Amino acid sequence: MERQIINKKKRVFSVEPNKIPPSEVFTRKYTRLLVPALKKLNMNKNSSQANQLTVKHEVDMALALSAQEFAWSRFLLQKLSSSNNPTTTTSSSSNGIRIQKRSGKEGGDEDGEIEEKMRELQKLLPGGEEMNVEEMLGEIGNYIKCLELQTIALKSIVEDTT
Amino acid sequence: MDLSVLERVKWLQQQQMVSPEFFEILGSDGREELKRVESYLGNNNDEWQSFRHYETIDGCISRTSSFQMEQVKNNEENRATALQHKRKTEGKTEKIENKKNKKIKTEDETESSMKGKSNMSNSETSSEIQKRDYIHVRARRGEATDRHSLAERARREKLSKKMKCLQDIVPGCNKVTGKAGMLDEIINYVQSLQQQVEFLSMKLSVLNPELDYHINELSTKQFQACFTDLPEAVSKQSMMVDASSFPLQHQESLDYSVINSIQTTTLGSKDQTSSGWEIHSQSLYNNLRTDSDSSFFSLK
Repeated sequence: MERQIINKKKRVFSVEPNKIPPSEVFTRKYTRLLVPALKKLNMNKNSSQANQLTVKHEVDMALALSAQEFAWSRFLLQKLSSSNNPTTTTSSSSNGIRIQKRSGKEGGDEDGEIEEKMRELQKLLPGGEEMNVEEMLGEIGNYIKCLELQTIALKSIVEDTT
Repeated sequence: MDLSVLERVKWLQQQQMVSPEFFEILGSDGREELKRVESYLGNNNDEWQSFRHYETIDGCISRTSSFQMEQVKNNEENRATALQHKRKTEGKTEKIENKKNKKIKTEDETESSMKGKSNMSNSETSSEIQKRDYIHVRARRGEATDRHSLAERARREKLSKKMKCLQDIVPGCNKVTGKAGMLDEIINYVQSLQQQVEFLSMKLSVLNPELDYHINELSTKQFQACFTDLPEAVSKQSMMVDASSFPLQHQESLDYSVINSIQTTTLGSKDQTSSGWEIHSQSLYNNLRTDSDSSFFSLK
């Protein structure tokens, strides 16, 4: 009996628990979350007005849920759940202006500039404003990676069906 | 002089820290810092501050030069916190003397305004503590104690480490030096990624009624083959993907879709299996920018 138990115990733990690369884990989770949600949306909705926003909502939700190890995902979830109207992570027009301004700005305190840019970066990251700078820098790395994977996933979903 | 040389060597052995990144970042300040640093060293006895000093002459850290600094006798005690970076060239005594003279002048100017005790005993009994290869932190006026400067130095190290990691993630960061430029790049990249996501989701919403979701089960399998590791912490890896080991049925269509969206490819060829998913982060970045702009307009 004991041997059986021991064998069972041995079986429970995989030899290399981290064999699956995290990017795969992420994308798997992501697509598994997003696709059924989209299906559901497809079936439920009648009007196409709120369509874009709700899709965005689902997209963000899927992102947040598939990356739950990171701090920013919690903030993103909070944002999503608290608001009925789905939030957009960016507004492209304002960002365009921001980029142009930045290139034209010269001079001024070097440290002040850097701080300002840090603050801007914090705004981009969900929950970034509540973190301190070091933490934020680390989280930004994760966030970028997840965004990249998300874009690939979305692209393939879109391209797959056209 | 021998003694001081020995001490110097000891000091070198104790503390060998190099952070070339600081030299990058702090390039332009070097010359002015030199004088200020010298004056600090001369006057400050118990409040040794750590210094940041940039050698503009060579950038070569391995050279040795000896500057005869007007050091105070308590050098050894305060060495733990006083980091001085100088070039050492033995035999350039003239230069040394010139610098010394300069130093005297600057010291006279700044002596009155210096905080802390000034034990300017002899300018000639200065032992050399100029060492090389240390991490230097800018000495700010009134920066109080050793602990503070050390803590700040540690903090800066952490920050620069993280910036380095980000440099590996964000494409195009290698060409830019300095925190501000890198931050710019990072901000642009994040914004472009977010825009891309937004655009894709809009596209998805348009296509939503017509989507056939059965295909997506296959695409999840394709993902499995396609991604390299995403570390939990800050990632240092690029987006290189190798799908050659996993031949798939639908890969062809995906190849074309990927290639269409990523115009400049390092793949080049029409090789289906290996080239399809080799996504260079750089090309992805470039094409994210162009793609999102162009197709965004086309959607309208």
